[in-house]
Amino acid sequence: MKDPYEILGVARTASAADIQKAYRKLAKKLHPDLNPGNAEAEEKFKEIAGAYGLVGDAEKRKRFDSGEIDAAGAERPRQNYYRDYTSSEQDHPYTDNSGFADFMDSEDAFAELLRRSAQAQANRRGHDLAYRLPIEFIESIAGANKRLTLPDGGTLDIAIPPGITEGQVLRLRGKGSPGSGKGGFGDALIEVEIRPDRSFTRQGDDIYLELPITLTEAVLGARIKVPTPTGAVTMAVPKGSNTGTTLRLRGKGAPKHAGGYGDKLVKLKVVLPKEPDPELEAFVSNWQRGKTHNPREEVTP
Amino acid sequence: MKISKEEFLSLSGIGHEMLNVWMEEEWLIPSGSSPEPSFSEIDIARARLIRDLQVDFGVNDEGVGVILNLVDQLYGMRRTLMQLRHTVRTNPSE
Repeated sequence: MKDPYEILGVARTASAADIQKAYRKLAKKLHPDLNPGNAEAEEKFKEIAGAYGLVGDAEKRKRFDSGEIDAAGAERPRQNYYRDYTSSEQDHPYTDNSGFADFMDSEDAFAELLRRSAQAQANRRGHDLAYRLPIEFIESIAGANKRLTLPDGGTLDIAIPPGITEGQVLRLRGKGSPGSGKGGFGDALIEVEIRPDRSFTRQGDDIYLELPITLTEAVLGARIKVPTPTGAVTMAVPKGSNTGTTLRLRGKGAPKHAGGYGDKLVKLKVVLPKEPDPELEAFVSNWQRGKTHNPREEVTP
Repeated sequence: MKISKEEFLSLSGIGHEMLNVWMEEEWLIPSGSSPEPSFSEIDIARARLIRDLQVDFGVNDEGVGVILNLVDQLYGMRRTLMQLRHTVRTNPSE
């Protein structure tokens, strides 16, 4: 670091009053808050503040003059200046736009730009607020009206559109934080979380369901009722259906984004009665084909 | 960040009496007032500026008021200028 007397532009023999005078003269010109946007001023200010911290203090000056301490490390640690806070997005009560009010009054394009900028500042829109809303699978397909209770005790009514998918975000205009001036409210952003369902799963716009059927229905065929998220529909199970047979119900899936519906895919699962049945046992023991037929033919041992 | 009056006094290094005068002069405008005023970081930085002006530069009370008024106008203009730059950048056709 340079010699503090040199920095302040005073002689080594200068009186304390002269040193203070010299410091004030320089500091007034170079204070960073009075020179926003001038990085050079800040550097110089740090230098003179450091120098004044050393020789502006009678005790320290004595030790410096006798060589006990040197100028190293005399610079004041960098503090946050006022100017560092004034340009932030955050509103603060000290902004004063009267300095160019006359510019805004004229009718040219520059005045128009200026007006718009000042207005954008004064009328900043409120923040968006994000929420998560868990819904049932059935609600995600059929749509629903939900009420969300907010942390502050308020409520939000949300219409879930049919066919919504996991992670989709609903935007409720004007339900966020209040803005400043005429900025208006921000939006509420609601991320939908779909609880897994015991029966239904979804892939794209198609809905999958595993549906148990009786042996009789599998062997002889039947018309059975199939539950869907929007109510039951009737489906024909063809004669000779098997476990794993998948039947497609066209247009009974989830609503598509572009209109129309996906399909519903019903995977059948043949289920025997829970209790052993003597009649069935008697039939199966006499059933020759059941003894010769090998369903494991294609399974490599 | 909300800062209580006590914290503010210790962070800014000014006294109780002085703070009351500064608030009365509206050199400092704390955000809340019930039951105690609450401050933010910009208030601390502003208090340091006022302290620099008064103690280091020897500016008297009238002078501080004049300087703050001009400083606020200067920063108001800088803010608008920045907003203007943003407007021009995002709407280059205008």
